[in-house]
Amino acid sequence: MTSREPRFNQHVLIDTTPLPDHIPKVQEIGASSAPLLSASYFIGARCKAYNDDYMQCKTEANGRGELDCMREGRKVTRCAASVLEDINNSCLTYFRKHWECLENNNQQLWQCRRFEGKLNNCVFEKLGLEKKIPGAPENEVQVHLRKRQIFADSIRDQIPWPEAVEKARDERDFGKAQ
Amino acid sequence: MGVPFETLLPYAIMMFGITGGALTKVKNMQNGGKRPRHSIDAWDRQMMERDRRLTGWLRGQTDNVKAPAGFELNNPWKVEPLIQ
Repeated sequence: MTSREPRFNQHVLIDTTPLPDHIPKVQEIGASSAPLLSASYFIGARCKAYNDDYMQCKTEANGRGELDCMREGRKVTRCAASVLEDINNSCLTYFRKHWECLENNNQQLWQCRRFEGKLNNCVFEKLGLEKKIPGAPENEVQVHLRKRQIFADSIRDQIPWPEAVEKARDERDFGKAQ
Repeated sequence: MGVPFETLLPYAIMMFGITGGALTKVKNMQNGGKRPRHSIDAWDRQMMERDRRLTGWLRGQTDNVKAPAGFELNNPWKVEPLIQ
C-alpha cells in the first residue's frame, strides 16, 4: 500500500441504502465481542471449511473480495449463527459466565480458564465440538488445558486448588445444580 | 526545626489510598460496572465500535444470535475532506 498523509476525519457518513434484492439476505450475527471470543474456537471447530474457503477467496480476489466473495461470506455467517444458536440452547449459563468473566478481564482468555473448562466440557458433551488451538505443537499440552496458568493476575486463577475449595467456588458461581 | 517527615507519611498513605479507591470507583462506573479495558489495539477498537453499534454502549455485550434490524446498515464511513 502506498503511504499517504494521515488526515483526520470528523464527519461520518451512514449509508442506509439496503443491498439489492438479487443478493440473498442473511441476518448478521448479533453477538458482541466477548461472546464471540468465547465461542470462537467452537465456531472454528464446526465451520473450518467455510472459513478457509472464504479466506482463500478473499486472498485470491486481489482487492475485490468484498464484492466477489459474498457467497462464501453468507456461508460463514450462517454457520457461525448455527453454532451460536446451539450454544445458546444447550450451555447458556456456562457460556454467559465465561464471557462475563472475559469482559471483566480485558478479554484475556488466560484469566478465565475456570469458566472456560466448564464451558468446554458442556459443549463437548452436548454438541461434540472441541476447542483445539490451530498450529499448536503436537507434543505439548495445549495452553488452555495446562494446570498452571502463569499469566493470570491473581494467584486464585493461576494454580489448581484442592477439590473442596474448587467445589465450594463452583457452587457459589454456578449454583447448586451442575 | 520544622515538621518531621515521619508524621506526614500516614497522610501520604491515606491520600494515595483514597485517590486510588475513588479513581477505581469512577472508572468502574464509566465502564458499566466492569473493570476498564487497557492495551486496546486496532482489533479491539474495531470490535468495541461494533459493540457500540450493536448495543448502544461501548462496553455493552449481547449474545443474541441475530442482530437487531438495521444493524447491517448503520456502519459508518469515515469521510475525509478533499485533497486539493
